[in-house]
Amino acid sequence: MHRSLFDALPLIATGAKLSTEPSLAGLEAVFLENREKLLRFLRSRGAGDAAEDLVQEIWLRISAAAPGPISSPLSYLFRTADMLMIDRYRSVRQAEKRDRDWSELHAAGDGEASDQPSAERHLVARQDAAQVMAALESLGPRVAGVFRRHRVDGVPQRQIAEEFGISLSTLESDMRTAYRALREWKERRDEA
Amino acid sequence: MSPSCLQETDAMLHDETIRERALEWAVRTGDPEFTDWDAFTDWLDEDPAHGAAYDVVAAAVADATDVFVTAPVPANDDVLVPAPQVRRRWLPGALAASLVLAVGFGLWQGGDNRYAVQTAPGEVRTVTLADGGSVVLSGGTRIELDRKDARYARLENGQALFSIRHDARNPFAVEVGEDRLVDAGTVFDVELDDGRMRVAVSEGLVLFNPGKEDVKVAPGHMLARQGDSYALSNVSPEQVGEWRSGRVTFDNAPLDIVAARLSRMTGVAFAAEDRGGAFSGSILIAPLRKDPQSLAALLGTTIRRDGERWIIVAE
Repeated sequence: MHRSLFDALPLIATGAKLSTEPSLAGLEAVFLENREKLLRFLRSRGAGDAAEDLVQEIWLRISAAAPGPISSPLSYLFRTADMLMIDRYRSVRQAEKRDRDWSELHAAGDGEASDQPSAERHLVARQDAAQVMAALESLGPRVAGVFRRHRVDGVPQRQIAEEFGISLSTLESDMRTAYRALREWKERRDEA
Repeated sequence: MSPSCLQETDAMLHDETIRERALEWAVRTGDPEFTDWDAFTDWLDEDPAHGAAYDVVAAAVADATDVFVTAPVPANDDVLVPAPQVRRRWLPGALAASLVLAVGFGLWQGGDNRYAVQTAPGEVRTVTLADGGSVVLSGGTRIELDRKDARYARLENGQALFSIRHDARNPFAVEVGEDRLVDAGTVFDVELDDGRMRVAVSEGLVLFNPGKEDVKVAPGHMLARQGDSYALSNVSPEQVGEWRSGRVTFDNAPLDIVAARLSRMTGVAFAAEDRGGAFSGSILIAPLRKDPQSLAALLGTTIRRDGERWIIVAE
Protein backbone atom coordinates (compact mmCIF):
# COMPACT_ATOMS: atom_id res chain seq x y z
CA MET A 1 0.00 0.00 0.00
CA HIS A 2 2.91 2.36 0.69
CA ARG A 3 3.83 3.61 -2.71
CA SER A 4 6.17 6.26 -1.44
CA LEU A 5 8.87 5.55 1.11
CA PHE A 6 10.30 9.00 1.70
CA ASP A 7 9.09 11.03 4.63
CA ALA A 8 6.01 12.86 3.47
CA LEU A 9 4.78 14.99 6.32
CA PRO A 10 2.54 17.61 4.75
CA LEU A 11 2.80 21.19 5.93
CA ILE A 12 -0.48 22.72 6.87
CA ALA A 13 -0.90 26.33 5.81
CA THR A 14 -3.98 28.31 6.72
CA GLY A 15 -5.67 30.91 4.56
CA ALA A 16 -6.55 30.86 0.88
CA LYS A 17 -3.26 32.17 -0.49
CA LEU A 18 -2.06 30.43 -3.58
CA SER A 19 0.54 32.89 -4.78
CA THR A 20 3.35 30.88 -3.24
CA GLU A 21 2.72 27.86 -5.45
CA PRO A 22 6.01 26.92 -7.07
CA SER A 23 4.43 26.42 -10.53
CA LEU A 24 3.16 30.01 -10.57
CA ALA A 25 6.51 31.40 -9.44
CA GLY A 26 8.26 29.46 -12.22
CA LEU A 27 5.78 30.77 -14.75
CA GLU A 28 6.31 34.33 -13.56
CA ALA A 29 10.05 34.02 -14.21
CA VAL A 30 9.36 32.83 -17.77
CA PHE A 31 6.87 35.67 -18.19
CA LEU A 32 9.37 38.31 -17.08
CA GLU A 33 12.13 36.89 -19.27
CA ASN A 34 9.89 36.88 -22.35
CA ARG A 35 7.96 40.09 -21.80
CA GLU A 36 9.45 41.72 -24.93
CA LYS A 37 8.61 38.70 -27.08
CA LEU A 38 5.04 38.75 -25.86
CA LEU A 39 4.82 42.49 -26.52
CA ARG A 40 6.00 41.94 -30.09
CA PHE A 41 3.45 39.18 -30.52
CA LEU A 42 0.62 41.35 -29.18
CA ARG A 43 1.58 44.16 -31.56
CA SER A 44 1.73 41.71 -34.49
CA ARG A 45 -1.74 40.55 -33.45
CA GLY A 46 -2.93 44.15 -33.81
CA ALA A 47 -2.87 45.32 -30.19
CA GLY A 48 -1.24 48.66 -31.10
CA ASP A 49 -0.87 51.05 -28.16
CA ALA A 50 -2.78 48.69 -25.88
CA ALA A 51 0.06 46.12 -26.02
CA GLU A 52 1.66 47.29 -22.74
CA ASP A 53 -1.64 47.06 -20.86
CA LEU A 54 -2.48 43.74 -22.43
CA VAL A 55 0.81 42.16 -21.47
CA GLN A 56 -0.10 42.96 -17.86
CA GLU A 57 -3.51 41.43 -18.41
CA ILE A 58 -1.88 38.21 -19.57
CA TRP A 59 -0.22 37.96 -16.21
CA LEU A 60 -3.45 38.77 -14.34
CA ARG A 61 -5.25 36.03 -16.23
CA ILE A 62 -2.56 33.49 -15.49
CA SER A 63 -2.34 34.29 -11.79
CA ALA A 64 -6.15 34.18 -11.51
CA ALA A 65 -6.24 30.79 -13.24
CA ALA A 66 -3.45 29.55 -10.90
CA PRO A 67 -2.52 26.73 -13.26
CA GLY A 68 -0.76 23.61 -12.14
CA PRO A 69 2.63 22.58 -13.51
CA ILE A 70 2.90 23.35 -17.22
CA SER A 71 5.10 21.43 -19.61
CA SER A 72 5.95 24.30 -21.92
CA PRO A 73 5.48 27.62 -20.12
CA LEU A 74 6.40 29.92 -23.01
CA SER A 75 3.79 28.35 -25.29
CA TYR A 76 1.28 28.68 -22.48
CA LEU A 77 2.04 32.41 -22.27
CA PHE A 78 1.69 32.86 -26.04
CA ARG A 79 -1.56 30.90 -26.02
CA THR A 80 -2.92 33.07 -23.22
CA ALA A 81 -1.92 36.18 -25.20
CA ASP A 82 -3.56 34.82 -28.34
CA MET A 83 -6.79 33.97 -26.51
CA LEU A 84 -6.79 37.40 -24.92
CA MET A 85 -6.66 38.98 -28.39
CA ILE A 86 -9.40 36.66 -29.68
CA ASP A 87 -11.62 37.54 -26.70
CA ARG A 88 -10.91 41.21 -27.25
CA TYR A 89 -11.92 40.96 -30.89
CA ARG A 90 -15.06 39.05 -29.93
CA SER A 91 -16.17 41.59 -27.35
CA VAL A 92 -15.62 44.47 -29.79
CA ARG A 93 -17.66 42.64 -32.41
CA GLN A 94 -20.37 41.88 -29.86
CA ALA A 95 -20.60 45.52 -28.80
CA GLU A 96 -20.81 46.58 -32.46
CA LYS A 97 -23.56 44.08 -33.09
CA ARG A 98 -25.45 45.24 -30.00
CA ASP A 99 -25.29 48.85 -31.19
CA ARG A 100 -26.45 47.83 -34.63
CA ASP A 101 -29.31 45.72 -33.29
CA TRP A 102 -30.32 48.56 -31.06
CA SER A 103 -30.46 51.17 -33.79
CA GLU A 104 -32.29 48.73 -36.05
CA LEU A 105 -34.86 48.03 -33.40
CA HIS A 106 -35.37 51.65 -32.30
CA ALA A 107 -36.46 49.98 -29.14
CA ALA A 108 -37.51 51.80 -26.00
CA GLY A 109 -35.53 51.20 -22.83
CA ASP A 110 -31.77 50.78 -22.74
CA GLY A 111 -31.66 48.08 -25.40
CA GLU A 112 -28.77 46.14 -23.86
CA ALA A 113 -28.62 42.60 -25.24
CA SER A 114 -27.96 41.31 -21.74
CA ASP A 115 -31.29 42.77 -20.60
CA GLN A 116 -33.24 40.53 -22.88
CA PRO A 117 -35.50 38.25 -20.88
CA SER A 118 -33.52 35.16 -20.04
CA ALA A 119 -36.05 32.89 -21.75
CA GLU A 120 -35.39 34.72 -25.00
CA ARG A 121 -31.63 34.48 -24.56
CA HIS A 122 -32.00 30.78 -23.86
CA LEU A 123 -33.95 30.41 -27.06
CA VAL A 124 -31.27 32.20 -29.09
CA ALA A 125 -28.60 30.01 -27.49
CA ARG A 126 -30.62 26.91 -28.32
CA GLN A 127 -31.04 28.00 -31.94
CA ASP A 128 -27.31 28.70 -32.20
CA ALA A 129 -26.55 25.30 -30.74
CA ALA A 130 -28.86 23.62 -33.25
CA GLN A 131 -27.25 25.50 -36.15
CA VAL A 132 -23.69 24.73 -35.05
CA MET A 133 -24.48 21.06 -34.58
CA ALA A 134 -26.24 20.88 -37.94
CA ALA A 135 -23.30 22.62 -39.64
CA LEU A 136 -20.83 20.16 -38.12
CA GLU A 137 -22.95 17.06 -38.60
CA SER A 138 -23.43 17.86 -42.29
CA LEU A 139 -19.66 17.34 -42.63
CA GLY A 140 -19.92 13.74 -41.50
CA PRO A 141 -19.52 12.02 -38.16
CA ARG A 142 -15.71 11.98 -38.19
CA VAL A 143 -15.28 15.72 -38.75
CA ALA A 144 -17.92 16.50 -36.10
CA GLY A 145 -16.30 13.99 -33.74
CA VAL A 146 -12.73 15.24 -34.06
CA PHE A 147 -13.88 18.85 -33.73
CA ARG A 148 -15.74 18.08 -30.52
CA ARG A 149 -12.86 16.07 -29.10
CA HIS A 150 -10.39 18.86 -29.85
CA ARG A 151 -12.31 22.04 -29.11
CA VAL A 152 -14.72 20.90 -26.41
CA ASP A 153 -12.67 18.21 -24.67
CA GLY A 154 -9.36 20.01 -25.22
CA VAL A 155 -7.54 16.87 -26.36
CA PRO A 156 -4.32 17.46 -28.36
CA GLN A 157 -4.51 16.78 -32.10
CA ARG A 158 -1.87 14.06 -32.04
CA GLN A 159 -3.89 12.08 -29.49
CA ILE A 160 -7.15 12.49 -31.42
CA ALA A 161 -5.48 11.24 -34.59
CA GLU A 162 -4.47 8.10 -32.67
CA GLU A 163 -7.95 7.66 -31.22
CA PHE A 164 -9.58 7.91 -34.64
CA GLY A 165 -6.86 5.91 -36.35
CA ILE A 166 -6.10 8.63 -38.90
CA SER A 167 -2.92 10.50 -39.79
CA LEU A 168 -2.18 13.89 -38.29
CA SER A 169 -2.52 15.53 -41.70
CA THR A 170 -5.96 13.96 -42.24
CA LEU A 171 -6.95 15.22 -38.82
CA GLU A 172 -5.72 18.73 -39.64
CA SER A 173 -7.66 18.61 -42.88
CA ASP A 174 -10.81 17.57 -40.97
CA MET A 175 -10.30 20.44 -38.55
CA ARG A 176 -9.91 22.89 -41.44
CA THR A 177 -13.17 21.61 -42.93
CA ALA A 178 -14.91 22.19 -39.60
CA TYR A 179 -13.37 25.65 -39.16
CA ARG A 180 -14.43 26.65 -42.68
CA ALA A 181 -18.03 25.61 -41.98
CA LEU A 182 -18.09 27.46 -38.67
CA ARG A 183 -16.65 30.62 -40.20
CA GLU A 184 -19.47 30.45 -42.76
CA TRP A 185 -22.02 29.89 -39.99
CA LYS A 186 -20.71 32.91 -38.12
CA GLU A 187 -20.65 35.15 -41.19
CA ARG A 188 -24.24 34.19 -42.07
CA ARG A 189 -25.32 34.72 -38.47
CA ASP A 190 -23.77 38.19 -38.29
CA GLU A 191 -25.38 39.24 -41.55
CA ALA A 192 -28.81 38.21 -40.31
CA MET B 1 -12.21 40.70 -69.48
CA SER B 2 -11.17 44.31 -68.83
CA PRO B 3 -7.94 44.95 -66.92
CA SER B 4 -9.77 46.45 -63.95
CA CYS B 5 -11.97 43.40 -63.74
CA LEU B 6 -8.91 41.16 -63.75
CA GLN B 7 -7.37 43.16 -60.96
CA GLU B 8 -10.52 42.75 -58.94
CA THR B 9 -10.45 38.98 -59.46
CA ASP B 10 -6.81 38.91 -58.43
CA ALA B 11 -7.62 40.84 -55.27
CA MET B 12 -10.42 38.43 -54.44
CA LEU B 13 -8.17 35.44 -54.97
CA HIS B 14 -5.57 37.12 -52.80
CA ASP B 15 -8.15 37.64 -50.02
CA GLU B 16 -9.26 34.04 -50.30
CA THR B 17 -5.65 32.86 -50.00
CA ILE B 18 -5.20 34.93 -46.86
CA ARG B 19 -8.44 33.59 -45.43
CA GLU B 20 -7.32 30.02 -46.10
CA ARG B 21 -3.87 30.59 -44.62
CA ALA B 22 -5.47 32.20 -41.55
CA LEU B 23 -7.65 29.14 -41.16
CA GLU B 24 -4.63 26.84 -41.35
CA TRP B 25 -2.91 28.86 -38.65
CA ALA B 26 -6.03 28.83 -36.45
CA VAL B 27 -6.12 25.03 -36.64
CA ARG B 28 -2.45 24.85 -35.71
CA THR B 29 -2.40 27.43 -32.88
CA GLY B 30 -5.56 25.90 -31.40
CA ASP B 31 -3.67 22.70 -30.61
CA PRO B 32 -2.47 22.66 -26.98
CA GLU B 33 0.78 21.15 -28.27
CA PHE B 34 1.47 23.95 -30.77
CA THR B 35 4.82 25.66 -30.05
CA ASP B 36 5.87 27.49 -33.22
CA TRP B 37 4.71 30.93 -32.09
CA ASP B 38 7.72 32.60 -33.71
CA ALA B 39 6.70 31.43 -37.20
CA PHE B 40 3.13 32.52 -36.49
CA THR B 41 4.34 35.97 -35.42
CA ASP B 42 6.42 36.26 -38.61
CA TRP B 43 3.36 35.45 -40.72
CA LEU B 44 1.32 38.06 -38.86
CA ASP B 45 4.02 40.67 -39.48
CA GLU B 46 3.88 40.16 -43.25
CA ASP B 47 0.55 41.97 -43.61
CA PRO B 48 -1.98 43.45 -41.15
CA ALA B 49 -4.69 41.66 -43.16
CA HIS B 50 -3.25 38.35 -41.89
CA GLY B 51 -4.10 39.12 -38.26
CA ALA B 52 -7.54 40.41 -39.23
CA ALA B 53 -8.37 37.23 -41.16
CA TYR B 54 -7.07 35.12 -38.27
CA ASP B 55 -9.32 36.99 -35.81
CA VAL B 56 -12.37 36.31 -37.99
CA VAL B 57 -11.88 32.55 -38.08
CA ALA B 58 -10.57 32.19 -34.51
CA ALA B 59 -13.52 34.18 -33.11
CA ALA B 60 -16.05 32.21 -35.19
CA VAL B 61 -14.67 28.91 -33.90
CA ALA B 62 -14.55 30.24 -30.31
CA ASP B 63 -18.19 31.36 -30.59
CA ALA B 64 -19.23 27.99 -31.97
CA THR B 65 -17.32 26.19 -29.22
CA ASP B 66 -19.03 28.31 -26.54
CA VAL B 67 -22.39 27.48 -28.05
CA PHE B 68 -21.47 23.81 -27.83
CA VAL B 69 -20.31 23.97 -24.24
CA THR B 70 -23.03 26.21 -22.82
CA ALA B 71 -25.93 24.86 -24.88
CA PRO B 72 -28.87 24.70 -22.49
CA VAL B 73 -29.73 21.16 -21.51
CA PRO B 74 -33.14 20.42 -23.03
CA ALA B 75 -36.08 19.77 -20.72
CA ASN B 76 -34.47 17.48 -18.15
CA ASP B 77 -33.61 19.37 -14.98
CA ASP B 78 -31.57 16.58 -13.48
CA VAL B 79 -27.92 17.47 -12.90
CA LEU B 80 -26.87 14.18 -14.45
CA VAL B 81 -26.54 14.73 -18.17
CA PRO B 82 -26.57 11.38 -19.92
CA ALA B 83 -23.48 10.48 -21.90
CA PRO B 84 -24.49 7.26 -23.65
CA GLN B 85 -21.19 6.33 -25.28
CA VAL B 86 -19.44 6.37 -21.93
CA ARG B 87 -22.33 5.04 -19.89
CA ARG B 88 -22.20 1.74 -21.71
CA ARG B 89 -18.82 1.07 -20.19
CA TRP B 90 -19.95 1.64 -16.65
CA LEU B 91 -20.58 -1.24 -14.37
CA PRO B 92 -23.64 -1.96 -12.27
CA GLY B 93 -23.82 -1.54 -8.49
CA ALA B 94 -22.63 -5.02 -7.54
CA LEU B 95 -19.13 -4.34 -8.84
CA ALA B 96 -19.09 -0.91 -7.22
CA ALA B 97 -19.85 -2.66 -3.93
CA SER B 98 -16.85 -4.96 -4.33
CA LEU B 99 -14.75 -1.80 -4.68
CA VAL B 100 -15.84 -0.75 -1.18
CA LEU B 101 -14.14 -3.84 0.23
CA ALA B 102 -10.89 -2.98 -1.49
CA VAL B 103 -10.98 0.56 -0.13
CA GLY B 104 -11.77 -0.71 3.37
CA PHE B 105 -8.78 -2.99 3.26
CA GLY B 106 -6.53 -0.12 2.21
CA LEU B 107 -7.68 2.01 5.12
CA TRP B 108 -7.03 -0.74 7.60
CA GLN B 109 -3.48 -1.29 6.33
CA GLY B 110 -2.43 2.33 6.27
CA GLY B 111 -4.43 3.40 9.31
CA ASP B 112 -1.64 4.55 11.63
CA ASN B 113 -0.21 7.20 9.36
CA ARG B 114 -3.50 8.75 8.35
CA TYR B 115 -4.67 12.05 9.73
CA ALA B 116 -7.50 14.43 8.91
CA VAL B 117 -7.54 18.07 7.87
CA GLN B 118 -10.86 19.80 8.31
CA THR B 119 -12.44 23.21 7.65
CA ALA B 120 -15.45 24.83 9.28
CA PRO B 121 -18.24 26.01 6.96
CA GLY B 122 -17.21 29.31 5.39
CA GLU B 123 -13.49 28.65 5.91
CA VAL B 124 -10.93 28.03 3.15
CA ARG B 125 -7.61 26.37 3.86
CA THR B 126 -4.64 25.40 1.69
CA VAL B 127 -2.63 22.30 2.47
CA THR B 128 0.77 22.04 0.83
CA LEU B 129 1.77 18.46 0.19
CA ALA B 130 5.29 17.25 0.82
CA ASP B 131 5.92 16.66 -2.88
CA GLY B 132 5.00 20.25 -3.81
CA GLY B 133 1.37 19.70 -4.80
CA SER B 134 -1.43 21.42 -2.97
CA VAL B 135 -5.01 20.91 -1.91
CA VAL B 136 -7.36 23.83 -1.32
CA LEU B 137 -10.24 22.89 0.98
CA SER B 138 -13.55 24.69 0.68
CA GLY B 139 -15.68 25.22 3.80
CA GLY B 140 -17.23 22.27 5.65
CA THR B 141 -14.70 19.89 4.15
CA ARG B 142 -12.77 16.99 5.63
CA ILE B 143 -9.92 15.17 3.92
CA GLU B 144 -7.65 12.45 5.12
CA LEU B 145 -3.94 12.42 4.26
CA ASP B 146 -1.11 10.02 4.92
CA ARG B 147 2.12 11.04 6.65
CA LYS B 148 4.05 8.30 4.86
CA ASP B 149 2.44 8.66 1.46
CA ALA B 150 2.25 12.09 -0.13
CA ARG B 151 0.41 10.59 -3.12
CA TYR B 152 -2.70 9.65 -1.16
CA ALA B 153 -5.77 11.64 -0.16
CA ARG B 154 -9.30 10.76 0.78
CA LEU B 155 -12.17 13.25 0.53
CA GLU B 156 -14.63 12.39 3.27
CA ASN B 157 -16.98 15.29 2.78
CA GLY B 158 -17.13 18.68 1.06
CA GLN B 159 -15.09 20.06 -1.82
CA ALA B 160 -11.39 20.35 -2.58
CA LEU B 161 -9.27 21.53 -5.49
CA PHE B 162 -6.23 19.34 -6.11
CA SER B 163 -3.17 20.75 -7.92
CA ILE B 164 -0.97 17.74 -8.33
CA ARG B 165 2.51 17.12 -9.65
CA HIS B 166 2.18 14.37 -12.14
CA ASP B 167 4.42 11.35 -11.82
CA ALA B 168 3.49 8.44 -14.06
CA ARG B 169 5.47 6.00 -11.91
CA ASN B 170 3.80 7.12 -8.70
CA PRO B 171 0.36 8.48 -9.54
CA PHE B 172 -1.64 10.56 -7.12
CA ALA B 173 -4.83 8.85 -5.97
CA VAL B 174 -7.85 10.42 -4.33
CA GLU B 175 -10.49 8.23 -2.76
CA VAL B 176 -13.95 9.74 -2.78
CA GLY B 177 -16.69 7.68 -1.22
CA GLU B 178 -16.56 4.37 -3.08
CA ASP B 179 -14.66 5.83 -5.99
CA ARG B 180 -11.04 6.25 -6.79
CA LEU B 181 -9.59 9.06 -8.89
CA VAL B 182 -6.09 8.77 -10.24
CA ASP B 183 -4.45 11.79 -11.80
CA ALA B 184 -2.69 11.58 -15.11
CA GLY B 185 -1.66 15.24 -14.60
CA THR B 186 -2.64 18.17 -12.66
CA VAL B 187 -5.65 20.27 -11.66
CA PHE B 188 -9.05 18.93 -10.64
CA ASP B 189 -11.87 19.75 -8.25
CA VAL B 190 -13.67 17.07 -6.26
CA GLU B 191 -16.90 17.34 -4.35
CA LEU B 192 -18.73 14.87 -2.14
CA ASP B 193 -22.09 15.77 -0.65
CA ASP B 194 -24.52 13.31 0.82
CA GLY B 195 -23.17 10.48 -1.37
CA ARG B 196 -23.12 12.57 -4.53
CA MET B 197 -19.66 12.73 -6.07
CA ARG B 198 -18.53 15.18 -8.71
CA VAL B 199 -15.08 15.63 -10.23
CA ALA B 200 -14.30 18.47 -12.64
CA VAL B 201 -10.98 18.74 -14.47
CA SER B 202 -9.30 21.97 -15.56
CA GLU B 203 -5.91 20.64 -16.64
CA GLY B 204 -4.42 17.25 -17.37
CA LEU B 205 -6.47 14.12 -17.05
CA VAL B 206 -8.17 12.22 -14.25
CA LEU B 207 -8.86 8.49 -14.39
CA PHE B 208 -12.06 7.48 -12.65
CA ASN B 209 -11.84 4.06 -10.98
CA PRO B 210 -8.95 2.67 -13.08
CA GLY B 211 -9.24 -1.05 -13.63
CA LYS B 212 -13.00 -0.88 -13.09
CA GLU B 213 -15.14 1.71 -14.90
CA ASP B 214 -11.88 3.30 -16.05
CA VAL B 215 -13.32 6.54 -17.43
CA LYS B 216 -10.95 9.28 -18.53
CA VAL B 217 -12.12 12.72 -17.47
CA ALA B 218 -10.47 15.34 -19.70
CA PRO B 219 -10.14 19.10 -19.13
CA GLY B 220 -13.48 20.86 -19.48
CA HIS B 221 -15.29 17.73 -18.39
CA MET B 222 -17.07 16.81 -15.22
CA LEU B 223 -18.06 13.37 -14.04
CA ALA B 224 -20.95 13.12 -11.60
CA ARG B 225 -22.11 10.07 -9.72
CA GLN B 226 -25.34 9.69 -7.84
CA GLY B 227 -26.24 6.27 -6.51
CA ASP B 228 -25.47 3.82 -9.28
CA SER B 229 -25.69 6.23 -12.20
CA TYR B 230 -22.75 8.11 -13.57
CA ALA B 231 -22.61 10.81 -16.20
CA LEU B 232 -20.15 13.01 -17.98
CA SER B 233 -20.96 16.60 -18.81
CA ASN B 234 -19.12 19.73 -19.86
CA VAL B 235 -17.80 22.36 -17.52
CA SER B 236 -16.00 25.52 -18.45
CA PRO B 237 -12.38 25.08 -17.27
CA GLU B 238 -12.42 28.56 -15.68
CA GLN B 239 -15.26 27.40 -13.45
CA VAL B 240 -13.21 24.57 -12.02
CA GLY B 241 -12.14 25.68 -8.55
CA GLU B 242 -13.57 29.16 -9.06
CA TRP B 243 -15.06 28.89 -5.54
CA ARG B 244 -11.62 29.94 -4.30
CA SER B 245 -12.30 33.40 -5.63
CA GLY B 246 -15.59 33.58 -3.73
CA ARG B 247 -17.87 32.82 -6.64
CA VAL B 248 -19.78 29.70 -7.55
CA THR B 249 -21.51 28.85 -10.84
CA PHE B 250 -24.37 26.41 -11.24
CA ASP B 251 -25.63 24.84 -14.43
CA ASN B 252 -29.13 23.45 -14.09
CA ALA B 253 -28.39 22.38 -10.53
CA PRO B 254 -31.22 21.11 -8.31
CA LEU B 255 -31.90 23.46 -5.39
CA ASP B 256 -30.74 20.98 -2.75
CA ILE B 257 -27.30 20.89 -4.36
CA VAL B 258 -27.28 24.68 -4.54
CA ALA B 259 -28.19 24.83 -0.84
CA ALA B 260 -25.52 22.33 0.21
CA ARG B 261 -22.75 24.07 -1.69
CA LEU B 262 -23.70 27.55 -0.53
CA SER B 263 -23.90 26.38 3.10
CA ARG B 264 -20.39 25.04 2.89
CA MET B 265 -19.00 28.17 1.36
CA THR B 266 -20.82 30.79 3.41
CA GLY B 267 -21.10 29.10 6.80
CA VAL B 268 -24.78 30.08 6.67
CA ALA B 269 -27.12 27.07 6.84
CA PHE B 270 -29.25 26.90 3.70
CA ALA B 271 -31.61 24.04 2.89
CA ALA B 272 -34.02 23.33 0.04
CA GLU B 273 -37.59 22.41 0.85
CA ASP B 274 -37.61 19.74 -1.85
CA ARG B 275 -35.61 18.69 -4.88
CA GLY B 276 -37.84 20.65 -7.26
CA GLY B 277 -36.52 23.48 -9.38
CA ALA B 278 -33.15 23.99 -10.95
CA PHE B 279 -30.83 26.94 -11.05
CA SER B 280 -28.29 28.17 -13.60
CA GLY B 281 -26.15 31.17 -12.84
CA SER B 282 -23.24 32.59 -10.94
CA ILE B 283 -23.40 33.69 -7.29
CA LEU B 284 -20.96 35.77 -5.24
CA ILE B 285 -20.46 34.37 -1.76
CA ALA B 286 -19.51 37.38 0.39
CA PRO B 287 -22.84 39.27 0.07
CA LEU B 288 -24.74 36.14 1.12
CA ARG B 289 -22.93 36.02 4.44
CA LYS B 290 -24.18 39.49 5.30
CA ASP B 291 -27.65 39.03 3.87
CA PRO B 292 -28.74 35.39 3.44
CA GLN B 293 -32.20 36.52 2.42
CA SER B 294 -30.83 38.13 -0.75
CA LEU B 295 -30.43 34.60 -2.16
CA ALA B 296 -34.18 34.54 -2.90
CA ALA B 297 -33.89 37.23 -5.56
CA LEU B 298 -30.83 35.56 -7.11
CA LEU B 299 -32.51 32.17 -7.41
CA GLY B 300 -35.94 33.51 -8.25
CA THR B 301 -37.44 31.61 -5.31
CA THR B 302 -38.76 32.59 -1.92
CA ILE B 303 -36.79 31.96 1.23
CA ARG B 304 -37.96 31.62 4.81
CA ARG B 305 -36.16 31.48 8.10
CA ASP B 306 -36.41 28.45 10.31
CA GLY B 307 -34.37 29.13 13.45
CA GLU B 308 -30.72 29.09 12.32
CA ARG B 309 -31.58 27.74 8.88
CA TRP B 310 -32.74 29.43 5.71
CA ILE B 311 -35.17 27.32 3.72
CA ILE B 312 -35.28 27.82 -0.06
CA VAL B 313 -38.80 27.30 -1.40
CA ALA B 314 -39.21 26.82 -5.16
CA GLU B 315 -42.16 28.77 -6.55
